[in-house]
Amino acid sequence: MTLINLSGIHSETYRELENDELPATGESVLVSLGQLQENSTSIFELTSSVGVIVNTETPYADLEEFVGRVAFVDIRFPVFGDGRGFSLAVRLRKDFGFKGEIRASGHVLPDQALFLLRAGFDSVDAPDERHEAFEAALKRFGAFYQTDMIGHGKSVAHLRHSADKDKSATQKAG
Amino acid sequence: MYAYDTFDRNIIDARVAEFRDQVERRMKGELTEEEFRPLRLMNGLYLQLHAYMLRVAVPYGTMSSKQMHRLADIATKYDKGYGHFTTRQNIQYNWPKLVETPDILTELADVEMHAHQTSGNCIRNTTTDQFAGATRDEVEDPRPYAELIRQWSTFHPEFSFLPRKFKIAITGAGQDRAAVKWHDIGLILRKNTEGEIGFEVIVGGGMGRTPVIGKTIREFLPEADLLSYLEAILRVYNEQGRRDNKYKARIKILVDALGAEEYGRLTEAEWHKIKDQHIDVPEEEVARIKAFFTPPPLPVLSDDVEEVDTFARENFIFKSWLENNTNPHKVLGHVNVTISLKPHDGIPGDATDAQMHFVADLAEKYSQSEIRVSHEQNLILPHVAKKDLPEIWKALDANGLGSANVGLLTDMIVCPGMDYCALANARSIPIGQAIADRFDDIRRLQDIGPLKLKISGCINSCGHHHAGHIGILGVDRRGEENYQISLGGSGAEDATKAALLGPGFDEHGIVDAVEKVVAVYLGEREEGEEFLATYRRLGPTPFKEAVYDAD
Amino acid sequence: MAKKIKGPQLIIANRLDDGRVVFMTENGNWTPDVARAAVADTPEGVEALEVQASTSEKSNLVVDTQAVPAETGDAAFPAHMKQAMQAKGPSVRPDLGYQVSKTWETDAQEGN
Repeated sequence: MTLINLSGIHSETYRELENDELPATGESVLVSLGQLQENSTSIFELTSSVGVIVNTETPYADLEEFVGRVAFVDIRFPVFGDGRGFSLAVRLRKDFGFKGEIRASGHVLPDQALFLLRAGFDSVDAPDERHEAFEAALKRFGAFYQTDMIGHGKSVAHLRHSADKDKSATQKAG
Repeated sequence: MYAYDTFDRNIIDARVAEFRDQVERRMKGELTEEEFRPLRLMNGLYLQLHAYMLRVAVPYGTMSSKQMHRLADIATKYDKGYGHFTTRQNIQYNWPKLVETPDILTELADVEMHAHQTSGNCIRNTTTDQFAGATRDEVEDPRPYAELIRQWSTFHPEFSFLPRKFKIAITGAGQDRAAVKWHDIGLILRKNTEGEIGFEVIVGGGMGRTPVIGKTIREFLPEADLLSYLEAILRVYNEQGRRDNKYKARIKILVDALGAEEYGRLTEAEWHKIKDQHIDVPEEEVARIKAFFTPPPLPVLSDDVEEVDTFARENFIFKSWLENNTNPHKVLGHVNVTISLKPHDGIPGDATDAQMHFVADLAEKYSQSEIRVSHEQNLILPHVAKKDLPEIWKALDANGLGSANVGLLTDMIVCPGMDYCALANARSIPIGQAIADRFDDIRRLQDIGPLKLKISGCINSCGHHHAGHIGILGVDRRGEENYQISLGGSGAEDATKAALLGPGFDEHGIVDAVEKVVAVYLGEREEGEEFLATYRRLGPTPFKEAVYDAD
Repeated sequence: MAKKIKGPQLIIANRLDDGRVVFMTENGNWTPDVARAAVADTPEGVEALEVQASTSEKSNLVVDTQAVPAETGDAAFPAHMKQAMQAKGPSVRPDLGYQVSKTWETDAQEGN
């Protein structure tokens, strides 16, 4: 597997904990939401560098209590067409103001790279052979019709009526 | 009409390049069929029974002569010389090659057209009144809002992988010609007491195996808030819509499970959180888009035109055509002409390349180079001067397009059925043709009056049979095609679900059944009473007796 | 153990590049000519055809391969409505489709 960086943020390496395992002091670890809900006190006592793994069906409200304390959220897609993962990322960013890394793992396609980035994802855990396709997909479009997580509040509709219009119309992403 | 700027142009060009790359990767085996299928579907490319099928978007059913000429050229060059106009006001080609599809998309992009989001679990082409911006009974032209929705929904980062497809319809007229209550979201343009424009918002309508009429969750939404409100509705659906069973994945099932009131409450709560997040576009953008839809400057003429009346007295078909195929334009002395794509012996909704060129030429001459597609699978020439009607009808008639049956029994919606569609359980088109054969007399049709007959070849209901005054559903009964008849549906402002009358028939029996139903109506109707009104007054019993007890 | 089958079967698919309906022949090639379709009438035989078909699918020649019931009178033909329609072309356009063998013969090269 290879880590594809969508947003350009610096990705940390986290070790995924076994069930009921606790982190070493100061260790960067990745735990499931269930595990975190059960052992949050002891986990956060040992380390502040915690990432949480959530499924696409996780109700976003379940994440609220941890948003200020985890550094990283890994959203696992059982299948690439499960759009709930996109709404989860949007919620984390917009509703909870989460600033840490959001990663997509599981089954996602290179052709979803820009959808992921624009919904608020920073990185993708993907098979090695897909690396190039992901990179290519990221460069595909240069402007978007929606106000999203990468446009600094500027959709095409907003750009059309702003000063930097000419520049943006011709610019490609990447 | 809307015209692309550099942004639109760059986005569509990038999309074509992306699809070309996807097709290449598929051919090389870098994408599996399982992975490629949703990607090609998002570009409107299906695999049907005989070949691939490409569905090209005609956004809100409006196109120019230039675009129609291009659609005809594509039919000639990449297909078998014809196309099929659909109930989402789109056109589909039945025989394109996968490897040539990127070239087709390039040719479409050249005339500012595309095929994206005509399939797949995303927001589909927004449909509207085919007479939008041209009809006399309208509050406001809905097309600028449909264009806003087109742009907002195109490659939406959050709503491109929904539980299921998602259809929005919008109307600005008192008479609902867009079946808005049968959509995932239906929007009706309204003016409030202050004269401001807004929308009544309806959610959770849909056909398929669980037909549901949509429910109003907001009486008046200010126009400036449209996109953020849609976003709120979609977010609730994307998060909570069922993904375990594709027959229960549409928003109608979620709205039903939660209750419309609760769905409305969730939407409002979400909307209040997000309405200031710059989802809605600046006022200048709305103005920019509206400017493309400024009505053409037409001279006010008299509605009484001597030579039209004279010709109508001489020619009964023209007289019927005048009555059925024209709709009053907002400018006096003008009409909107519906060209029936339901000729006798034809395939409902099909047009040949030559006919497409011909209609495009007519539009250049008589309708400001503008053409519309209706969800009832006909073509429209808007803004036509009444005095030109005899000439137009003669030209249409000479090209096999003079049928005067719009709104009558043979102006059917018919899905492609098992003649083309991989999902179908029975054929639809031959049933439509057999019924058209049985009622092949304009005087008889005219006497029967307005009657909407709709035929689907499977429970997915692409032929809108649930909304038919007479609805026919084809099913597979132990390997044989079998046809069920339902009565009393409506897709209009008084939307109702058709009710199943009884057991099904074979392909001959169903035609007899339709004839018996019509006979009951003719025998029982009161002065000036249309079929649907008679059915509503009498209920199903007399129809059931006539259809099932006769033998 | 091969699964039970109901009568003889043939393999139908669509070609990947143009979507055209094709049938698998005895030697594992694909032909638009249904009369040349390989037919198996034992569970083992059908399984062997399916294995061969899935190899073609994996090498990206065809998609949607499936074993379907066949009639085996004078020549092989699909027994069910839907696949019969695929073999013939749309019933409402007899001027098109694969039943117009003369038109289709010319480009009926049997790539494998």
